[in-house]
Amino acid sequence: MSMLELPADIDTGAMHDSALLVKSRAVTKRFGGLLAVNNVDFDIPRGSIVSLIGPNGAGKTTFFNMITGYYVPTSGDITFDGHRIVTMKGKKAKSLKPHEVTALGIGRTFQNIRLFGTMSALDNVKVGINVHLKSHWWDSVVRTPSMLREEKKTIEECMGLLKLVELDRRAETWARNLPDGDQRRLEIARALATRPKLLLLDEPTAGMNSSETRQMTDFIQRLRGDLGLTVLLIEHDMRVVMGISDRVTVLDHGEVIAEGAPAEVRANPRVIEAYLGRGAAEA
Amino acid sequence: MSAAADTVGTGVGGWLGYVGGTLAAIPGQYMAALRRHRARTIGLTIVFLAVVLYPVIGHYVLSEFSRNVFPLPYPDDTVATFMTIFAIMAIGLNIVAGFAGLLDLGYVAFYAIGAYTAAFLASPHFGALGINLTFLGHVGPGAVGIHLPYWIIVIVAVAVVATFGALLGAPTLRLRGDYLAIVTLGFGEIVPLFFKNLSSVTFSLNLGPINIQLQNQNWTGGVQGINPIDPPYLPGFDVIFDARSGALAVYLGLFMLGIAILVARNLEHSRIGRAWGAIREDETAAEMMGVNTVRTKLLAFALGASFAGVAGSFQASYLGASTSDFFSFSISILVLIMVILGGIGNIWGAVFGAFALTYVDKTLLPYIGQRIGDVAPSLPNPAQYNFLIFGVILVVMMRFRPQGFLPSRQREAELTVSGLQDAEAELGIPVEVDNVSIAPHGQSEIGQGARDAETTDEARDL
Amino acid sequence: MDQLIQVLIIGLANGLIFALVALGYTLVYGIIELINFAHGDVFMLGSMLAFFLVAPASSGGWAVFPIDEGMAFPLKVAEILAVLAICMAMTALLNVTIERVAYRPLRNAPKLAPLISAIGMSYVLQNIGLVWGGAYQRTIDSVFPATNMLEPFGITAIVVTPAQLFVAVVTIPLLIALTLFVNRTRQGRAMRATAQDPDTAGLMGVDVNRTIAITFLIGGGLAGAAGVAQLLYNNYTVYTLGFRFGLNSFTAAVLGGIGNLQGAVLGALVIGEVNALSDRYLSPNWTQAIVFGVLIAILVFRPTGLLGQQLADRA
Repeated sequence: MSMLELPADIDTGAMHDSALLVKSRAVTKRFGGLLAVNNVDFDIPRGSIVSLIGPNGAGKTTFFNMITGYYVPTSGDITFDGHRIVTMKGKKAKSLKPHEVTALGIGRTFQNIRLFGTMSALDNVKVGINVHLKSHWWDSVVRTPSMLREEKKTIEECMGLLKLVELDRRAETWARNLPDGDQRRLEIARALATRPKLLLLDEPTAGMNSSETRQMTDFIQRLRGDLGLTVLLIEHDMRVVMGISDRVTVLDHGEVIAEGAPAEVRANPRVIEAYLGRGAAEA
Repeated sequence: MSAAADTVGTGVGGWLGYVGGTLAAIPGQYMAALRRHRARTIGLTIVFLAVVLYPVIGHYVLSEFSRNVFPLPYPDDTVATFMTIFAIMAIGLNIVAGFAGLLDLGYVAFYAIGAYTAAFLASPHFGALGINLTFLGHVGPGAVGIHLPYWIIVIVAVAVVATFGALLGAPTLRLRGDYLAIVTLGFGEIVPLFFKNLSSVTFSLNLGPINIQLQNQNWTGGVQGINPIDPPYLPGFDVIFDARSGALAVYLGLFMLGIAILVARNLEHSRIGRAWGAIREDETAAEMMGVNTVRTKLLAFALGASFAGVAGSFQASYLGASTSDFFSFSISILVLIMVILGGIGNIWGAVFGAFALTYVDKTLLPYIGQRIGDVAPSLPNPAQYNFLIFGVILVVMMRFRPQGFLPSRQREAELTVSGLQDAEAELGIPVEVDNVSIAPHGQSEIGQGARDAETTDEARDL
Repeated sequence: MDQLIQVLIIGLANGLIFALVALGYTLVYGIIELINFAHGDVFMLGSMLAFFLVAPASSGGWAVFPIDEGMAFPLKVAEILAVLAICMAMTALLNVTIERVAYRPLRNAPKLAPLISAIGMSYVLQNIGLVWGGAYQRTIDSVFPATNMLEPFGITAIVVTPAQLFVAVVTIPLLIALTLFVNRTRQGRAMRATAQDPDTAGLMGVDVNRTIAITFLIGGGLAGAAGVAQLLYNNYTVYTLGFRFGLNSFTAAVLGGIGNLQGAVLGALVIGEVNALSDRYLSPNWTQAIVFGVLIAILVFRPTGLLGQQLADRA
């Protein structure tokens, strides 16, 4: 669990390990006979906005789920901020539990919004902060002063986050009664409440019109700028990807087919082929 | 809450200050509520007074009333005591099934364990095995068996039952909703069977230094159960709370019910309550947001079960007897109906459901049966078919009113109004009220346990 | 050794009855993922109806088809077939009605709502049995002679009674018929399609409501046959029979892999043997606890059962 144990095979990136927030090596995931992610090396530099793109079924979300500890990879290593999330124990990969990964500092949103529907917006955000709270259940039962103070700080912090996503006026509304765009932003506020170093956003602009999309793009850039977050993005909207990413990684059939700055990737014939089909690259 | 939190000090002094402040604020809050919702506040006040003054009203007013004015029977002291016992259980099951969304069909197991804890620790039973221990017990000198005071037994029962809650909950953690229901049902059947069958234990183990020889030992009293069990006793006032003590036992029950409501409410409005809600709504998302689902579910099982420990130990001490036949699957279902009837997820709904159903079961149906018996003795006695009625209630409620009669939606809306005022005062910003019209959510709350299911397919489109 | 074989034969006969009930659980779970809690009580009502049809007026029956040990063989067969037909028809219709009233309106509700509704329905049926049959055990005189069918073959150490043979003769053809129905007929194909994916099956032209109703019809009919077998083999019925038999049979269905027809039969035979062995060598007091222990252990450690799921892969 320390920096000293980092894998020694640094041959893919020119960057030093300390500059990488996430470093994954030879990550593979099989579902039965299906090879969803195959031998992927993938790095996220600190403070960057990195996009993971690829056609449907390319393995993007599967990869997300492995970083967050939801899926245990079939094999591979994933290191986050000096902590090992996935390591090989003999022939099998061992992974931290999702809530342990969250505690280390990875927050995420979901492709198809997964809020706690019949809880208020404020309570949704409060759930995110749970992992950092110290009070025990018996503190709650007798309402100890430390628990009350913690609760007060929690409300302040969560209201601050709701204000950040412009939902402070809807704090007491049930999550399921918010419009779609508000729900997407509430999910981000909830993820931010876990006090992440790395924020994983799974298609944050899905279903948005162009002005909403622009607002979301600005917002993501502000998150990086103001809060110093590193952001990993899965996105289908190429304007968003090309507009805000520092680096883009393209997955196809579970393998990395291209990696680099947005302009490079856009010009890569393999990427064009993967997206538009064989023949399009020559045309 | 938040107002008092501003000035909260540290340590015990700070806590006492907080409690004092909260209590001192009650009159002001009451007056404010009276101004804001006059009719409702007055109505609730009347209900509260009626409950607290019940024994007096019951004896001097209600009996006249029911004889002459409105010919419905009023619940006697025994029924009133059982109302509190079942209300405590319904609150506990509501924590497991309502807050955390884990359908527990074997809740009666914890009730039984609570009752037998009291039976073991305050009866002559173990005298036959040569175990004699009296500590502050309300018995004469030289009493056989174990005799501990009721107040210690309640605490022991809570600890024992909570432990069993976690133990029996542990194997179910990975199960989907309906499988979880069946496994808990199994535990609910097995536990009373143990109490029934362990009345003649013969066991022989001889491994060198370890030599255990048991010959026909009666551990649990078998079919006859265990009696007599010492009643709850308050030393300073020399008061006994048993079936002969009338209204006193009702007050002891109400006192414990009050504590139960307070504890459940405090749990609901805390980080653990929010974690339960998150698991109920979407277990996977909860886990991804840092909720330790294993720990949180075990806490739900343990804390929810502990209420049944209180109820069970009180019941056994109050009746002075504990028999295994009492703890059948039907009791689990009865408590579940109480929770569903009131509105799953709502503490007050659980209390209402428990009061109403206990009244119907123990007072109204026998009364109607008696009336029918007077007029036409050949007709069936409805008291014998109480579960026919309860079965119909379940089917009809699921179809037409799954959210119960006091759905937590209303309470949520109320909370919103007062919560908003708190938030406004604290944050200095106006807050919108717009969730008063909500799609019926009781359905989803009942189904939340089902969402435990995580097939690979479902997970893949996460 | 002979004694053990004798116990196993008793277990086999009870296991065959469990199998008929277990198939009802597994069919319904396979198609709508509902633990049909009321199914055991449907079986109980089937045995109750059989009692009233068969029992003489002296023991409270209607004596519509009085069967006694000494009557002529062809007449006895005819009367048993008549009782089977009536009881199966009644339970089949009852089961369809239950589906219509208590489950179909909840098709799109959260999954635990129908389960709770099923528990309520179980209590309703149990109380119907209580009103109808009274709070005590209803018994009939044995309709089969207590002879040993193996005696003509020179075996006397092991006894197979005509009653046990009767159970096999009733259950085994039904089990075969059901397998053929599900695997070979158009309606059986519709059932399997619905079990796989009701939405797609609906789009492909399968009448999902009708298919589900037919599943309940078949499950109910099998429970009715099991009720008749129970009455004529064990010679008694009582209103609480459904809960005990239901849990045994449900355990059998889970043991075999719920949704799997062959698995349910295999599981039922195992559970029948577990019952017989525990009754004989441990104590009848512990039998129920052991069955529950088996149920819990399977659900916790191997929820797919012995043979895995077949009718529904979704489960």
